[in-house]
Amino acid sequence: MATIGSYTLLAAFIACAYAIAASVAGARRRSLRLVESGVGAFYTVTALMTLASSIIIHAFVTENYTIRYVDRYSDSVQPLFYKLTSYWGGLDGSIMFWVFLLSVFGAIAVKANRERQRELIPYVVAVIGAVQLFFLFVMIVHKDPFATYLTETPVDGRGLNPLLQNPYMAIHPPSLYTGFVGMTIPFAFGMAALITGFLDDSWLRAVRRWTMFSWLFLSLGLTLGMIWAYEELGWGGFWGWDPVENAGALPWFTATAFLHSVMVQERRSMLRIWNVTLVILTFFLTIFGTFMTRSGIVQSVHAFGEDAELTLLFSVFMVIILVFSFGWVIYRLPLLRARNELESWASREAAFLLNNWILLFAAFFILFATMFPTISEAFTGQRITVGPPFFNTWMVPIGLVLLLLTGIGPLLAWRKSTLSNLVYQFVWPMGVAVATAVGLSAIGFRVWVSGLCFALCAFVLGTISQEFVRGAGVRRGATGTDIVTALVGLIMRSRRRYGGYVVHIGIVLMFLGFAGAGYKLETQALMNPGDEVELGQFLVRYERVSETDDGQKQMVTGHMTIFKDGQAAGELFPARWFFRKHETEPTTEVAIRRSLSEDLYITLATYDLADQSAAFQITVNPLVNWIWFGFAIMALGTGLALLPESSLAFVSAKVPAGAATTSLVLVSVLLGGMGATAKAQIAVPDGAELGADQQRLEAELQDELVCVCGSCSHLPLSTCTCATATDMRLRLNNQVAMGKDRDGVYQHFIDTYGSQEPIGAPIGTFNQLSWFFPMLVGGVCLVGVGFVALRWSRRDSELQALQVSVSADDQDQQLEARLDDELRKLD
Amino acid sequence: MSSENSTDANSFRPWHLFVIAGLVASTLGVVVVRPGDAVVLVIFVAAIGSAAGVGFALYRTLWPLVATDFIKHTEIVGVRTRAAIDREKTLVLRSIKELEFDRAMGKVSDTDFQLMDRRLRAHALALMKQLDVSMPGYRDVIEQELAQRLAIDLQSDDIQVDRVIKADRLVCASCGTENDTDAKFCKGCAASLVEAE
Repeated sequence: MATIGSYTLLAAFIACAYAIAASVAGARRRSLRLVESGVGAFYTVTALMTLASSIIIHAFVTENYTIRYVDRYSDSVQPLFYKLTSYWGGLDGSIMFWVFLLSVFGAIAVKANRERQRELIPYVVAVIGAVQLFFLFVMIVHKDPFATYLTETPVDGRGLNPLLQNPYMAIHPPSLYTGFVGMTIPFAFGMAALITGFLDDSWLRAVRRWTMFSWLFLSLGLTLGMIWAYEELGWGGFWGWDPVENAGALPWFTATAFLHSVMVQERRSMLRIWNVTLVILTFFLTIFGTFMTRSGIVQSVHAFGEDAELTLLFSVFMVIILVFSFGWVIYRLPLLRARNELESWASREAAFLLNNWILLFAAFFILFATMFPTISEAFTGQRITVGPPFFNTWMVPIGLVLLLLTGIGPLLAWRKSTLSNLVYQFVWPMGVAVATAVGLSAIGFRVWVSGLCFALCAFVLGTISQEFVRGAGVRRGATGTDIVTALVGLIMRSRRRYGGYVVHIGIVLMFLGFAGAGYKLETQALMNPGDEVELGQFLVRYERVSETDDGQKQMVTGHMTIFKDGQAAGELFPARWFFRKHETEPTTEVAIRRSLSEDLYITLATYDLADQSAAFQITVNPLVNWIWFGFAIMALGTGLALLPESSLAFVSAKVPAGAATTSLVLVSVLLGGMGATAKAQIAVPDGAELGADQQRLEAELQDELVCVCGSCSHLPLSTCTCATATDMRLRLNNQVAMGKDRDGVYQHFIDTYGSQEPIGAPIGTFNQLSWFFPMLVGGVCLVGVGFVALRWSRRDSELQALQVSVSADDQDQQLEARLDDELRKLD
Repeated sequence: MSSENSTDANSFRPWHLFVIAGLVASTLGVVVVRPGDAVVLVIFVAAIGSAAGVGFALYRTLWPLVATDFIKHTEIVGVRTRAAIDREKTLVLRSIKELEFDRAMGKVSDTDFQLMDRRLRAHALALMKQLDVSMPGYRDVIEQELAQRLAIDLQSDDIQVDRVIKADRLVCASCGTENDTDAKFCKGCAASLVEAE
């Protein structure tokens, strides 16, 4: 079986190379035969990859441990479901899965656009083929999933990492891959348009749906990752700015930017260079994200480990992508010039420009901060750790600005908003926002950050509801139906626009969830049976701890009884599971009591079966479920925008679908940031007695210093529950007790662990300079945006005159009448 | 494209062969291997099915290179271009509607509306003219394009002549409207064009 698998991959490689050669040759010699043959070879790759996938899954299910990959990632006691998902559980298989998905998507995209985008198809095949070729090459020369043991077949496999044996984790990677891989299709069409020079808007038509589809799956993947972190890692949060999470968020930001700016091109024929650039960047970032996860250049909870050869292969590939694609962009610059100009800053185009700038800045910032440890190591030899507090400092404001733009964008008119127009549009949403802000501060809510976030949420909801109501009003006037029919008709007619608004609602809900994190309560308690702890409205009583075994794992379970406002509210069972062969890395099984207003979240930290005592971390997470709920709404909105409208989809799109983008960014932003406001200081057992000032310093430093264990995504010491953090807290306590000041403590931690980076107070000239780098880039880009806008606004009347004159010589009355007639029928 | 697009409903098409081959191979494979449980069985059959898929895709790769009647199976270029123009027209009409809606919502000022509306209308009219078969010029474009494309294929001299003549004949006998080369009924008066040919 393994041999067949290897040969299948080899055959796929050959078919892929042939597909590229035949398509390009066919396109250049204008030979339909060659092009068709190339497309056939392209389908052959899909069929071969399906075959290879069936073979590896077959090997997993039949427990064929002669194949190394099967041995490493599964064992006989694993449930069937996880045997199937082990396919993408490791590096080799995930690359193969990647190629499989890409071949399937590519085949669908080619089949669907074969007629409509005839000129582009040969190059689309060639570009997708080239990407497949690279990954197939990696598998054949370096990471063959079908590699076998030469001697001694193991009797049983080593088993999938227990952390991955969670339903969310099983579907999180494929969802994320779907998003990543899907972004290759827009790239291929964009490149084909550049190569052929057919740079009108038709390639965008072919691409928008794919981008939305991939964007949806990217969002789903990120959300599933959050749920997984929330339920499986047991630190009470959902986004820790782990490099691998960040890798997924990067293309999300650029894709969001693209979904928005594409509307500007459709509507106003502007930003053409920019859109091609965004498509290229998004694709590049998916490859870069893959590279980051798989090459081991960053440390992460779920990186696959270091691999120098792979690093080299990927680096070469990425350089080729950049040179090749931007080379074509430069070559085609004359064809890409904008045909219109920016007339006013109070216009929707300008809002989109701003939104693009912020999204790109966010992506760049995350990229930089994620890579910073690696960069710093290369320059100074010291690996710096960048923790969530740093990300939050920057991303919270960015998220809020994006939220604000989500509200403002739809209110602005294209081209130019007049003053009266602005007043008419803004009164109601502003009113709602101000009322919310005043109301909240009256009942004692903090203004920064959560209060502001709530007010902005109200503003966006006000905007969207106004759009729906006014739109329905206009339609009712035009069609003479009742308001509900008008509303439904409105949504069905321009699904992309209103689908986009629905996505915005989802984003708002997610932000509500993020803002809720600002009101999080947490405590840690060492309890004996019968002990009670009170937190918020909850009273938690610890009953006992028990031990059970199901053959695959040993389970230690705490039994807790919950009371809410004095009423019994059920039982919770936080646990730790020790999987066979992975006893040293027990998983934390969090117990959660869910409700719309808040989650009660309990993890079992330590326990003693003999005297039945146990330590728990108990957290109340307000509004957290709104995040998942918000995602559901977002998916609904995207689905609405994606509904087949055949040709109509393109036209009716101008406003909305892209709106969703903003949301994603925000999501990532909010997570970490807002939670940071309410950190509890963790008491250090066996710690020295400290004076009041020293206690304050200790508390501050617990928030600033991050855990370096490598498995918790660098949480602050005040949050992390792992053993390393416990050690570090004790060390911190000792240092403070020795009378050291802040810098002294930092220096001690850097000497000991070689990696600490406080926010705002970096140590060493290089690090200081580096912190200014993102600001510098952001500033330069902003200046760039302003400059481009200025140039646009100067290049005015000529084009305008031209356009008008074209329309002026239409004297065919009959045709005009027919046009009016068709327009009436169209609705 | 390949014969899967053939209009002859009775013909046995290549993919039928591969489906049957796949089914036979799966049956034989299952009888010989006797997989233990249902899941293994399903995956086993899926593997053989995809192997059959590989066979068909290979056929699909080689066929265009060797088939002598390849051009006959590909559709005529002009028809597709026409469909594309038609689609574009619908899109432009939609844009006009959207623009009107935006004005009603107060998102576009009146002057802007007039300017943009005029531009879109001009575009729509241009497209309608192109589509309008009675307009001279469109035919020439098709024929030129056709001749150009066909001329590339060295083996297709005969076919080229055949096509052009055919295109000539697509004027409806009853009302004079020109129709797509593959039309069975006239779009102007609904008379059967099959007879007319």
